[in-house]
Amino acid sequence: MRGVPANSGHPRACAQIHKPYDSESFFEVSIVKLSASCQELLTQLQTVSRVASTRSAVQALSGVQLEAGDSGVELRATDMEIGLRVPLEAEVQRPGTVVLPGRLMLDVARQLPGGDVSIELRPSEGDVEVVSGPARFHIRTLRSEDFPPLPAPGGDTVVTMPAEAFVQTVARVSRSASRDETRPILTGVLVSASGDELRMVATDSYRLSVKETKLDAPLETGFEANVPARALDELSRVAAQVGAETIEIGVRTNQVVFRVGGVVLSSRLIDGQFPNYRQLLPETYEHELHVPGEELAGVVRRISLMAQKNAPLRLSFTEGELTVSAQTPDVGEASEPLPVPFAGEPFEIGFNPEFLRDGLESVASGDVILKLISPLRPGLIEAGDGSGFLYLIMPIRLNV
Amino acid sequence: MRLIVARCEVRYSGRLTAVLPEALRLLMIKSDGSVMVHADTGGFKPQNWMTPPTVIEEEGEPPVRIVVRKRAGASEDRLDIVIAEVVSDVVHDMGEAAALEKDGVERDLQEELAAAPHWCGEGFRLVRREWPTDIGPVDLMCRDADDAWVAVEIKRVATIDAVEQLTRYLERIRLDPAMGACRGVLAAQAIKPQARVLAESRGIACVEVELAVLRGEREPDLTLFAA
Repeated sequence: MRGVPANSGHPRACAQIHKPYDSESFFEVSIVKLSASCQELLTQLQTVSRVASTRSAVQALSGVQLEAGDSGVELRATDMEIGLRVPLEAEVQRPGTVVLPGRLMLDVARQLPGGDVSIELRPSEGDVEVVSGPARFHIRTLRSEDFPPLPAPGGDTVVTMPAEAFVQTVARVSRSASRDETRPILTGVLVSASGDELRMVATDSYRLSVKETKLDAPLETGFEANVPARALDELSRVAAQVGAETIEIGVRTNQVVFRVGGVVLSSRLIDGQFPNYRQLLPETYEHELHVPGEELAGVVRRISLMAQKNAPLRLSFTEGELTVSAQTPDVGEASEPLPVPFAGEPFEIGFNPEFLRDGLESVASGDVILKLISPLRPGLIEAGDGSGFLYLIMPIRLNV
Repeated sequence: MRLIVARCEVRYSGRLTAVLPEALRLLMIKSDGSVMVHADTGGFKPQNWMTPPTVIEEEGEPPVRIVVRKRAGASEDRLDIVIAEVVSDVVHDMGEAAALEKDGVERDLQEELAAAPHWCGEGFRLVRREWPTDIGPVDLMCRDADDAWVAVEIKRVATIDAVEQLTRYLERIRLDPAMGACRGVLAAQAIKPQARVLAESRGIACVEVELAVLRGEREPDLTLFAA
């Protein structure tokens, strides 16, 4: 923080009750006054406002809560599923709490002329005055009472692990989580940590991603939780931005709280039985091929351009060769051969192009091991470097 | 059906007065007495219209004036069409009108699921369609692989109301001691997330079905597991 918050001689405001619409008594409202750099304000607003709700009936949820206290300034936003608390480096003249319209405040912060910005709540007007250089804004505040309290870090089980390992693991699996809100269990990533292993599993029923990551040091305790993929993706963004070395994970009965650097991200946990993924993995395969991963991913990316309108990507295996092809009526077709160590009866299998691409791109680098059984049984993409990544993908029926 | 393309002015009087100034318009006069005045814009909706029963009076050959009258309580609705030029005037015999056939409605789903109840749950056998309860019929009554009773409510789009409806049926069905363990299945082409949560909290299973798959027009997508 830039400095110790100064009490500028005004009577200390009530810390909890902020009533911008009830300005009868000066002593009953929080008086926020602070100054910060425009760039710092913009950066932190960009981070926090991502989780502000865009479609809630409660207007305060579209806002960003700004709390100026003795220990500094914090920006908060939530859509009731994910909550984010982001510190703001600022000089506090008067502590207090106010909820600002998130989208508008971000737009204003983007256009500020630079240098420093001061934000002051004007209780009698029910707005905040934002001043930067010659620019002066008066922005109406939202109902502070409607903004829910966000959980503090910690929990029943608290685990600290390297941020990079956690984020890298999320990046490998989160694409497989379902976006279909009618199947809430599948919109999450099953995160398990115990001993020296972190494991994440995600599936949308068409594909399954499993990543097991070895940790440098064993954990003191472990946990298993189904965390919304959206929360983990958001956490990854925050971690990359903050550049913290560790992530603290606090797991509660129905909530998880991550602390990375000074940022606190909380999320509800998804209730219900996650599919038993182990029994989905076939025990044996007919074909096992080691293929250069980046080369195959490149071919798939190119040929996928001609697989539109739900057209499948066709993989035709013949002696020593794989031909990837696609055809979309009224659009065109494409094919490209690739030498592969295939032996046996030729066979053809179809995949959703996007799902196949996701799987190949999730194998970070090096060879991929392609394991296949038959045109209607799932295929497995495995990282050839023994990094513990598995991607099981269901084929699409091919009409001839 | 008579279709007249004519340059005309249309005056309406009745609950209010309205004038369509002279312009080229399509006058559609149906055999049931409906009269519609269309322009070449404005979508499907006529610029003015009169619903049957109407009295239609016509002057001249070719027509120079058409008056459409209809009683509206104590007053009269009147459409006065003054024709300056007739571009086209044709009459078509449309024959018997076939009714609109809607496909993919609840009844279609019910028929398909009654013929193949296993889509509602493994081993399901149909006992009866429209199983009566004292508050209305439940769509399908089935028995599962263990011979237990299962009431299936079918909707095109299942909302919370559908869950409430099936809950009420189950309450009534379970009053019969022989069916005290009857469970419920909500089958629909789409199930709203809130409906799914409520159904699951009440022990009601949810099944999403596709009409094209039920009819064998399309193979179901291959999945790793039944989600």
